[in-house]
Amino acid sequence: MSFIHPLALLGLAAAAIPALLHLLQRRIPPEIDFPPVRYLSAAERESARRLKLRHLLLLILRTALIVAIVLAAARPLVPLRGGGAHQPTAAVVILDNSPSSGAIVDGGLVLDRLRVAARSSVGRTTSADRVWLMLCDGVLRGGSREALLATIDSTRAGWQRLDLVQAVERAARIVNAQPLPGREVQVLSDLQSTALASGRADVPSGVRVLALAPGRAVANRGITAVTVSEGAAVIELSGSMVGVAGTPQPVPVTIRIGGGHRDRGEIAARGLATPGSDRSGGATRSVVTVSLPAQSLAPGWWVGEAALEPDELRADDRRPFAWRVAPPARVMATSSAGSFVAAALAVLQDGKRIVDGRDVVISGGEAPAGSHAIVQPPVDPALVGQANRALASRGVPWRWGQLDTPGVLTSPELTVLNGVPVVRRYRIEGAGSGEPGAGGVLATVNGEPWLVRSGGVVLLGSRLDTAWTALPAAPGFVPFVDALVNRIVMGEAEVAAAEGAPRVEFRTRGTDTVGATVFGPDPRESDLTPATPVLATAALGGKDRTAVLTADRFASELFSGTRRADASGLLLVLALLLAAAELGVATRTR
Amino acid sequence: MEFTEHRAYQPGDELRYLDWRILGRSDRLFVKQFEEETNLRAMILVDASRSMAWQGTPERLTKRAYADRLAAALALILLRQRDATGLVTFDEQVRQVIPARVKAGQWTRVVRGLLDTPDGQGTAAHAALQRLTALLTRRGMVVLLSDLLFDRELALAALRYLRHRGHQVIVFHLMDPAEVELSGPPEVRFKDPESALSVVVRPRELARAYADTVRREIAAWRKACRRHGIAYHHVQTDLPFGLALRLLT
Repeated sequence: MSFIHPLALLGLAAAAIPALLHLLQRRIPPEIDFPPVRYLSAAERESARRLKLRHLLLLILRTALIVAIVLAAARPLVPLRGGGAHQPTAAVVILDNSPSSGAIVDGGLVLDRLRVAARSSVGRTTSADRVWLMLCDGVLRGGSREALLATIDSTRAGWQRLDLVQAVERAARIVNAQPLPGREVQVLSDLQSTALASGRADVPSGVRVLALAPGRAVANRGITAVTVSEGAAVIELSGSMVGVAGTPQPVPVTIRIGGGHRDRGEIAARGLATPGSDRSGGATRSVVTVSLPAQSLAPGWWVGEAALEPDELRADDRRPFAWRVAPPARVMATSSAGSFVAAALAVLQDGKRIVDGRDVVISGGEAPAGSHAIVQPPVDPALVGQANRALASRGVPWRWGQLDTPGVLTSPELTVLNGVPVVRRYRIEGAGSGEPGAGGVLATVNGEPWLVRSGGVVLLGSRLDTAWTALPAAPGFVPFVDALVNRIVMGEAEVAAAEGAPRVEFRTRGTDTVGATVFGPDPRESDLTPATPVLATAALGGKDRTAVLTADRFASELFSGTRRADASGLLLVLALLLAAAELGVATRTR
Repeated sequence: MEFTEHRAYQPGDELRYLDWRILGRSDRLFVKQFEEETNLRAMILVDASRSMAWQGTPERLTKRAYADRLAAALALILLRQRDATGLVTFDEQVRQVIPARVKAGQWTRVVRGLLDTPDGQGTAAHAALQRLTALLTRRGMVVLLSDLLFDRELALAALRYLRHRGHQVIVFHLMDPAEVELSGPPEVRFKDPESALSVVVRPRELARAYADTVRREIAAWRKACRRHGIAYHHVQTDLPFGLALRLLT
């Protein structure tokens, strides 16, 4: 409720007048002789309760009369429900056409339901209103009602995620700055819980936030990321498993490779993932690894696509990916590199993965030579100091320390290393006072660096010998050496991920392709679990400013916050009735 | 019964006492009076308690003054009818006793008795009333003029006793009009002049309840008197004396 003349409310102090008069009038009454006092006493005894009630009633009536008159003078404006014209309103209609709005629920597109509500809302605006439309791109679109309706009609599910908390906060600031009586933010969204996870919107007082309640929750699974390493594509899956919780089932994933910037053949592979391995809230994450015939791929950039079987949300069922197959490195191994390295290089040379040359030098403790060097610790511990000095002179911020405890290799980037035991190793530690940081650590043993990279130098904590580690005897040894010489020591081409329509864009420098950006929907869009009304209300401004409403109530509440009427007339009528009642009570009992 | 004199016929007189010969000669109506009719003994009891010395407004008589005048007029009428008439004034004690006589100068004695009785100080008039019963030994008519502001049961006991002794008892309940309709300042402390009893009221608020209480009190007196064969008349002091005396007919 608001008031046209709020200063008149100061007159409410006058409501104390009846009570004050009652107290002030309690003076010593005059005394008069009156013989039939006995009759008077009897009459008073019989009427005492009635008189007390009458006094109280009169006090209440007179106080209420003053309050009603003062309120009428303040001209209160009370909100009206139901139909009728509304006062000029500044409103932002947030139509969440993020990828999740493309889901099919109960046979219909979620976005269609949201569009109907948006059309209804914009259709009820008048020329006195100021209305903006905000889509998932966050851009505020103004214009005439017809223009906004046309925009709504042409809206399709987009590829950008909309953070509803930030969107509502921004919209609230916009409408709050408008000098109009009504200020409203209308949220038309599937209210994904992930879209409300960034805190609580700061909504100024006087701004109403109306949110359409979400529809039924549906199960969905989507591809959130695809990374390619030696001989394998790792596909991460995520989504909301409504209705299938507790029943892990294999998920078929299809990989297609080809169609890059160079015309190449298509390679298809399939893998299965078991969902439910990582569950948080309503979302379930799982990983599937698909082997790739890496050796058969020619050097250059490759583009692929991972696909799931269609479900309710198609937008996240496919995701492209890109990676670079480097040309055969020119590699030379010194005599101290060991026989296992030499054997692996021979295999790679046979497979045309490397050629002879000095671009990459693999050594066993000597000073790193060439532009790219892979250095193992020396056989003789006495030479470790000399080797450290050579590394320092090369500017490598790592050095070998003391022999350390055995352990098992762990590497998120080189999966072939995972689980391989290491029986002998030098602790790799930062050289000098500066800490090299964890950015160059590629594999660890017992949480301590085992394989690190700095510029063109790669440092190993153990020699590639079965006396030090079981890696040379492992099946992944040759792929590991392949990765070392072709990818790791040469520096990997950067593949970045970005939000947008699924595609791959390459970055070039001159005639060289130096990186790629893979576009796709935000992984959080795959989780279609809607927020509870309580959570949504709290996140979008709090229960005193925000309401999550069903479709019917949403339609009836639109702009209702601005439908106000001057209640002074009613209050004057009430005052008149109170005055009549007071007169009646005062005279009837005399 | 011995003939004593004639008097003019009054409605209600028995026709058997009509003197037909006078009617035949002069065409006028006279009835014959006999010695036994003149032997009515009437005692007028006047309440002289303090409450009787009250008047609602200065222009009206006090209840006591009204009662004195009513008693004097009544005595005159009775004496003119050759009824032996006496007077007793009382408050909480019996103040004046003038035995019932019919001889000349009796009215003057009655009036002097009224004048010689000051406004009383006492409050318990019913006690004096009970003592009066012992004084009224011969049967006759007893007229009580009082505001009846005393204990009703005790007073009725005394009146019942008189009735039991064969007296014809008539009660004039005198009230000032201001005692019937409550009025006054917005808030006032009313004090009983006969006692320490006082009460603070707003007359406008209590007027209706008070009037109801007074009506109930009058009705209770009337009902109790009727039950015991006592004539009861409520008289306000603004009532003309003639109308008040006609209540006796």
